[in-house]
Amino acid sequence: MRISAGLPHGVTGVLFEEALERRRLEAAFVEELQQAHYSEVILPILDYFQPYEPLLTATTREQLYRFVDRDGELLALRADFTPLLARLLAPRLDSLELPLRLFYRGDVVRHQSLGPGQLREYYAVGAELLGGERESADHEILRLFVRLVGRAGIGPVRVVLGFAGALDELLGAAANGDGAQLAAAIARRDRQAARRGGAALEEVVEHGVPERSGSLGREASRRLDALLELTAGLGRELAGQGVELSVDLAEFAANTLRPELEIPGSIWTYYDGIVFRAYQAESGREVARGGRYDRLFGALGADVPAVGFSLGVDGLLQLPGRREVAS
Amino acid sequence: VIRLALPKGRNLSTALDALRAAGLGLAGFDERRLRQVHPGDELELLLLKDWDLPLYVEHGIADCGVVGSDVLEEVRGDLLVPLRLRQGRCRFSLIGRAPEPPVDGAQIRVATKYPRWAERLLRGRPWGAEIFRLSGSVELGPILDLAELAMDIVQTGRTLRDHRLHEIEILAEVSPCLVVNRAAYHRHRVALNALMDRLEAAEVVCT
Repeated sequence: MRISAGLPHGVTGVLFEEALERRRLEAAFVEELQQAHYSEVILPILDYFQPYEPLLTATTREQLYRFVDRDGELLALRADFTPLLARLLAPRLDSLELPLRLFYRGDVVRHQSLGPGQLREYYAVGAELLGGERESADHEILRLFVRLVGRAGIGPVRVVLGFAGALDELLGAAANGDGAQLAAAIARRDRQAARRGGAALEEVVEHGVPERSGSLGREASRRLDALLELTAGLGRELAGQGVELSVDLAEFAANTLRPELEIPGSIWTYYDGIVFRAYQAESGREVARGGRYDRLFGALGADVPAVGFSLGVDGLLQLPGRREVAS
Repeated sequence: VIRLALPKGRNLSTALDALRAAGLGLAGFDERRLRQVHPGDELELLLLKDWDLPLYVEHGIADCGVVGSDVLEEVRGDLLVPLRLRQGRCRFSLIGRAPEPPVDGAQIRVATKYPRWAERLLRGRPWGAEIFRLSGSVELGPILDLAELAMDIVQTGRTLRDHRLHEIEILAEVSPCLVVNRAAYHRHRVALNALMDRLEAAEVVCT
């Protein structure tokens, strides 16, 4: 009998030269992380489903591979490292010295619809910075993020930054009953809806930020000014290194701090502070993302500020024009 | 140069009219050439099937494109949708041989080209729907008793009248939309905003 070499949808074997290159890229990331004094944690791929259930959105619930174990426990395959890390660290936090710098690597498995080059099982490397003063922790993790993306060999990169809740006050004031609908329209840069919402939302949709930061409300305005300052400083630091940074609040309109503004079906909504995404400039493909998720850690019993990021290694390896990591 | 994807289906002429009204020359446009460069307009055009277009834009092969909101509702890609065109608007409707909706508690077969969108729109109805996909001539479903109802695009309503079908309920407005790749928006922000400004100034988009 001939045995098929076919694999289920969305999974692949990585063989020979490709495997070598994946290990080289992983090693380059790990080198950066260790140089920055981040320690490795190794996490299981199987976990209970129940602790995460209240945190799931309709979409992330659909993405989870769940099954009943032989002893009747409902288990899930690892779809994200961060919540698992939060739950494991929660009972140990009192005995740990903060700030805590951690990194992880391994497979994540998500049942998602497949497009060209997309996988349901892929290898991720990520970092978490727990504790510490929030603003300086954000700066540190962002610098580390940019350094790792720079090591990926994917040419010029654009990093887009924002913060959760930036538009909450504007959306709350402009929405006529359905704030979530307006938030969704801003997230897709709907000009008509933005215009109806007022000049500041229109500016955000077209230019990423309002002309006057004060139109966002006092707290969001202060945070935008700080983020613009950070971006400008980091931009100067990285001049000539092929990294372009910009602040764009419409990009992260789905990241709200108000339940009434949550867009149904959204994913990545657990960020509650700084949020960032990196795109390969040439192809425009998203390569990595990260941000702050204090509430997520809190909801899993770890009452500690947390900021981090994750890079999908398999996706990076498939990007056009990528040059190999020097062995 | 911006790479713009145009749909080969019912929205092609609408998209071309809108672009020309916005001042683009598109000199020598040839419907048979799937890929064509228009240096005068700083555009490269791709001609794609409606259903494929969102994928090309989402994956950054095309920077932007024009596609019907019906297709977007079905494929649910991660795309920016900044503008809707005025022309080519139509409606997505529930169609049947009788003008009344099903009675509460009934279990109804529904034929459509858009099963995922249909499922979302019919969720919570007091009657059950067994939704299945047909790839064309959906109106024939209720006529030939393959289904009790159909859900499809209605433009003038003439096809329905010709087949003695009734538009039981309008479920959604449908219009051709300008879609943009997320990263391309950052990369070509100035050029894309300028194109959108021109479309708005030409009054060919909903404002």
